[in-house]
Amino acid sequence: MLDRWKIPLLLSPALLLIVGLFLGGLFLGLIGSLGYMPQLGREELSFDAYRNILTSESFCLSFLLTFYISFTSTVIASALAIIAALILRRHFIGRSVINFLFQINLTVPHLVGAVGILYLFSQSGFFARLAYEFELIARPSDFPALIYDPLAIGIILQYVWKEVPFIGMILLANMQTFGQDYETAARSLGASRWQSFRYVLLPLLTPGLLAAALIVFAFTFGAYEIPALLGQNYPAALPVLAYQSFTDVDLNARPEALAMGMIIAALSAVMIVGYARLARRYVRT
Amino acid sequence: MSRYPSISSSVWQGLCLLITYVALAFPFSAQAETKTEYKSWEEVMSAAKGGTVNWFMWGGADNINQYVSDYIGGELTERYGITLKRIGINDTAEAVNIVLGEKQAGIDDKGSVDLIWINGGNFRTMKQGGLLFCGYHSLLPNNKLVNWQNPSIANDFGLAVDECEVPWNRAQFAFAYDSARTENPPKSIAELIDWVKDNPGEFTYPAATDFNGSVFIRHVFYHAAGGPDALLGDFDSKKFDAIAPKAWAILNEMKPYLWREGETYPNAIANLAQLFANREVALYFDYDPAIFGINVENGIFPETTRSYGLKDGTIGNTNYVAIPYNSPNKAAAMVAANVILSADAQREKAKADVWGAAPAIDINRLPEEEKQRFTDLPRHPAVVDPATLSKKALPELHPDWISAIEKGWQENVAK
Repeated sequence: MLDRWKIPLLLSPALLLIVGLFLGGLFLGLIGSLGYMPQLGREELSFDAYRNILTSESFCLSFLLTFYISFTSTVIASALAIIAALILRRHFIGRSVINFLFQINLTVPHLVGAVGILYLFSQSGFFARLAYEFELIARPSDFPALIYDPLAIGIILQYVWKEVPFIGMILLANMQTFGQDYETAARSLGASRWQSFRYVLLPLLTPGLLAAALIVFAFTFGAYEIPALLGQNYPAALPVLAYQSFTDVDLNARPEALAMGMIIAALSAVMIVGYARLARRYVRT
Repeated sequence: MSRYPSISSSVWQGLCLLITYVALAFPFSAQAETKTEYKSWEEVMSAAKGGTVNWFMWGGADNINQYVSDYIGGELTERYGITLKRIGINDTAEAVNIVLGEKQAGIDDKGSVDLIWINGGNFRTMKQGGLLFCGYHSLLPNNKLVNWQNPSIANDFGLAVDECEVPWNRAQFAFAYDSARTENPPKSIAELIDWVKDNPGEFTYPAATDFNGSVFIRHVFYHAAGGPDALLGDFDSKKFDAIAPKAWAILNEMKPYLWREGETYPNAIANLAQLFANREVALYFDYDPAIFGINVENGIFPETTRSYGLKDGTIGNTNYVAIPYNSPNKAAAMVAANVILSADAQREKAKADVWGAAPAIDINRLPEEEKQRFTDLPRHPAVVDPATLSKKALPELHPDWISAIEKGWQENVAK
C-alpha cells in the first residue's frame, strides 16, 4: 500500500511546481489574452486581442520572418550536419580531435555565440576591418549588412553555427547504431555511392533527422535572445514583438502580448507533439 | 539533452512574464498614502538606530554600486548605526512588483523593500497603487537644499511628487561627438536635419522601444511643436494629432540619410555606443552625460570625444528614491534619504571618477565655501558642464504622451 503511494508522493513536490506554476501560468495567460482584466473593469471574455494581432500587418510580417528564420536555419543546419556526420564517421588520423572540435560549441551559450557573430560580421567587425585593411572597402557602410539586416543573415548564421553539431551528433549516434552493413550490402548489389546514401542511409536516418530538426525548429521559433541581439528593428521576430507589447506601459496592450505568447506556445506544442510521435515511431522500427 | 530545457526556456520566459502580469494587473485603487507618525528629526534618528535599509536599485554600473555600498553605506553605519543592504536589480519594475505582491498578500508592515531608486512610470504605478510612504519632507533637515520651485523636480515625468519621493540625481540629455573627426556638430534639431542630409549614413537613433531613442524622438517632437509648452499636462489627442504628422514628416525626411538608409534602427542605446565607438556613426547621445567620460576612460570612446546640449535646450529629468508604504524600517530609510541629499554625499557623487552624476540639490542654497567646492570639481573633458547644460533644460512629458509618441513612431516611421 505504502509502496504504491511512494513514487507519486516523492514526485509530488516537482509535480506541484510544474502543474501549479506551469499550467497555472498558462491558464492565467490564456484568460489574460482573452482580455479578462477585472482590475481594469473588464470581465467579459473576447477574442479581440487575437483578432487584432492576426489582422495586423506587423504580426503577419513578424510571423513570416520568424518562420523564415527557423525554416532556413533548420534546413541549412540539417544539410551541413549530414555532411559533417558522413565525414566524421570515417576513420582518419586526428578524428578524435576533429570530433572534439566539432562538438565544442555545444557548450557555448547562444548569447555568447551571438556576441561573437556581432564582432565578426558587423559592418565594423573583424571581417569588415580585414576588408578595410586590404582596401576592399573604404568605410563601414561599404561592407555588406549581415547583422540587423532584412534577410536575418546574422541570426541564421548564429543558429546554423550552433545547431550543426547538435544535429550532427544525433546523426552520428544513429549511424553508429546502424553500422555499415546495409550500405555494404547495397554496394555489393551494384548501387553507386550516391544510391546507397540516397536509398539506404538517408531513409534510415530520416526519423532521427526529422526529430532533431523539429527540436531545432521549435527552439529557434520561440527564442527571444538571438533576434533581440542580431535582428533588425522592424519587422521583429515574434518573441521580440511579444516582449515589446508586454513591456508597453499601456496595460491595454497586455492581452495582445499574451495572445502572441499563446500562439507561440501553441505552435511549439504542435511541434513537440510531432516530435514525440516521430520519436515513438523511430523507437519502434 | 540540454535541448529539452531550452525548448521550454521560452515557455518559462513566458511564465515569468505571466507572473509579472498577474502582479501588475493588481487593482490600481487610488488610496491615501501613509503619513508619517514621527514629530521631529530627533525622534526619527533615535527610531532609526540599529535599523537596516534594504535599498533596491538598478545594479548595472559598478561605479554606482560602489558609491552606494561604500560611501553611503559607510556614512550610515558610522554616523547613524544603520546597516545598508544594496539589492541590485535589472529593472526598477522588479522592486515595484515585490511591493505590489506584498500588498496583495496583506503584508502591510513587514515589507522587504525599504528604499527604491525610481522615477517616471514606476513612480506613477506606485503612487496610483497607494504603495508609497509620503509626507515626510519637512522632517528631513537636508530637504531645504532642494529647490522644490523647480517644476522638473516637483514633478516626476509630469506627475506631482507630493512628498512621496526624495530627489537623488538630475539627468539631462546631451549629444557627443569626436572633435577630431567632426568639426561642427549640429547644435539644434533644425541644424541636425540639414547635417544628416550633408553627411549621409553618419547618424541614427535607437528605436522608440529604447529609453534614449524615445527621448531623442521627443526632442524632434518638441521641435515640431515649437517648444514643449503645448505638450505639457495630460494627454490631449487633438494636440497630438495636430503635431504628430509634422514630427513624423521630419523623421521620415531624415530617414534615407540615416545609417543603413534608415532601413533599421539600433535596438538599444548600447548598440549606438558601439556604432559610435566603431566610427560607423559620428554622433552619440545619452540621457546621462557622465557616460561619455566613463566610456572614454574605459577606452571605448576616443579621447577627443566632446559633448554639448542643444541651443533650444535638451530634456532633463530628476530621479528619486522612494520609501514603500509597508517598509518596516521607515525611520532608517528616511535617515538614508537625508544622507543622500547631504552636500557631502552629493559632491562625492558628482566627482568624475566616482559617478559624475549631476546634483539634485540646488548648490546656490549652500554656504559660499561649500558651493565653491562644487564648482571646483574637476570635470571630465568629454562631459559637458552640467551648469551650462541645465540653463536650457526642457521638461519631460506625461507618460501618456510618451507612450503615444512611441506608438506613433512605430506606426509612422519604423515601418
